[in-house]
Amino acid sequence: MGKFWRDGRGHRPRLQKESSACSAAVAGFVEAGSNTPPRRQIGFFQGLEKGVGGFSKAWKIALVLLLAVLPASAQVRVVKGGSAKATIDWSRLVAGGAATEFKRVLEDDLIHSGWFTPAAPGGAEFSLVGSAQESGALNATIQFASVTQRQWLLSKQYTAEGGAARRLAHKVADEILAAIGRKGMFSGRIVMIGTRSGAKELYVSDMDGGNLSQITSDHNICLGPHWAPDGNRITYTAFLKRYPDVYLIDLASRSRRVVASYPGMNSGGAVSPDGGMVALILSKEGYQALYVRALGGGVPMRLTDGSRAALASPCWSPDGSHIVYVSDQASTAHPQLYMISRSGGAPRRLTSRGSQNVAPCWGANGLIAYASLQGRFQICVMDPNTLDSKMITPGDADYEDPSWASDGRHIVCSRTAGYRSRIYLLDTLGDPPVALSEVSGDWYSPSVTAK
Amino acid sequence: MQSKRWMMMLAMGLVCVAAVSGCKKKTAGSGSDGGIGGVTGADLNGSGLGGRPDLNATEMAGQFVPVYFDYDSAQVKESERAKVEAVAEHIKKASGVGVIVEGHCDERGSREYNLSLGERRAQGVRAYLMTLGVDAARIQTKSMGKEKPVALGHDEESWAKNRRAEFVLFK
Repeated sequence: MGKFWRDGRGHRPRLQKESSACSAAVAGFVEAGSNTPPRRQIGFFQGLEKGVGGFSKAWKIALVLLLAVLPASAQVRVVKGGSAKATIDWSRLVAGGAATEFKRVLEDDLIHSGWFTPAAPGGAEFSLVGSAQESGALNATIQFASVTQRQWLLSKQYTAEGGAARRLAHKVADEILAAIGRKGMFSGRIVMIGTRSGAKELYVSDMDGGNLSQITSDHNICLGPHWAPDGNRITYTAFLKRYPDVYLIDLASRSRRVVASYPGMNSGGAVSPDGGMVALILSKEGYQALYVRALGGGVPMRLTDGSRAALASPCWSPDGSHIVYVSDQASTAHPQLYMISRSGGAPRRLTSRGSQNVAPCWGANGLIAYASLQGRFQICVMDPNTLDSKMITPGDADYEDPSWASDGRHIVCSRTAGYRSRIYLLDTLGDPPVALSEVSGDWYSPSVTAK
Repeated sequence: MQSKRWMMMLAMGLVCVAAVSGCKKKTAGSGSDGGIGGVTGADLNGSGLGGRPDLNATEMAGQFVPVYFDYDSAQVKESERAKVEAVAEHIKKASGVGVIVEGHCDERGSREYNLSLGERRAQGVRAYLMTLGVDAARIQTKSMGKEKPVALGHDEESWAKNRRAEFVLFK
């Protein structure tokens, strides 16, 4: 964990240009399958080191010095240099008719993954060849190869029902990423609040913002949607019975049931990683406290002591042993992040920089993303073991409500500028933020599921 | 006068500390439902909420003036106390009437934290109503967070109007 912010000495990503002929496509390459050596899954820390490891320490210091002397406008350009990428040639990926959407989504995913940049034939390190047609069903043949290693990495035929081109493209993107030892995120989905209809409703989209579908039609206030770990259900807070209550909505059936409707405020509604428990912020006793309870019902167990504080936004650690949450117990003006064992005990304060630190999301990579008010809200990423934290947004707008993508590299959040909110994809390795929602209305409070 | 108040606050503080530390073993992860009533200050004083009013109950809004708050504060200011006192007088006289204290926030900051801050504002007003002798069971709290602003501007003038607690009577 402590390695996170250290200078990585991981080996440099394959960026060397090989001039050797890849014009002869991938003929003669070793067929993948069982011959391919098992590829180590590269986690976030290693991934990060790998990503920035190419910079030597001296270079980094030089960069810092450069930043100190450059005018602000120039700084932005340097910071936006982005992460190291491998070149990929997809000029011989062909798709006709309705299958062009498959091709477009797949290529966009590979770019958004942060690991690839498209290149012309002849100089690319990777080659993506294939065809996709849609006639009733979508049929795609995909051959992905490492040109530099002269090796097939993926050779597969796919079939999907008509209209499922986007989902199939996301699946193929994740399989291509897995073939180079990277975890993909494109099979995931985002739940968010949108105001397109004029009211605040829940919507679900693919990871690239496409496939947007409206889930609720309540004409009500709703807050804080969060996925249950099964990826089939969503908890959120709504005022359907005039008070803030926590609901659980089943995506397939759209049926909904009350999770918590105690007197006073019911919020939080974070389902534990094992799916059995729910963390709640309740005020039924006349003060706010963090509780855990079986998701199905039962008596809530209070974890925090009674205090005159506002508590919010509980989120479980990936192993389910702890909960990070927001409390302004130290000062009413300044909500901060605290962490507590799922069985109670003394909370530990995690944040001190920034006048407000809110909306924590504890990723499967062990890191906590949160929004920190430093002039404007910015997204920071913290290692809860060392409390080291790093701001990953460029400061040009308010970035809030971060949620980790399943690749452990990207974060989905809302970005507000000029009183308009949209969903953005952030890269912890330095690629610039990407807008995911182009639809009119405000879009905010995103939460990501891996499935 | 001033020093007397400070002495009171100090004494209350000491009671809080003693009570909390005495309770700690019992409260932390004991699995018990319910609170450590009566130990951490006036607004936590044996004050669990009663059941919510029936959805068909008659609600009367707008009869009393809202209480306004400073930025990121849940403190009922000296200047706002007469408003709460007027509500207390009314409820104590009217039988079968309860009050929902509805807390609101300005547009700045996290939505979920603002929901909780609005609840804190409602709780602050509830605590003051209780010190004025209103039965705790007759006071509900409700937060709308920053979701129901009355002023839509993006300036301090609007924000000040939105940081409020409204009174809704129910019967």
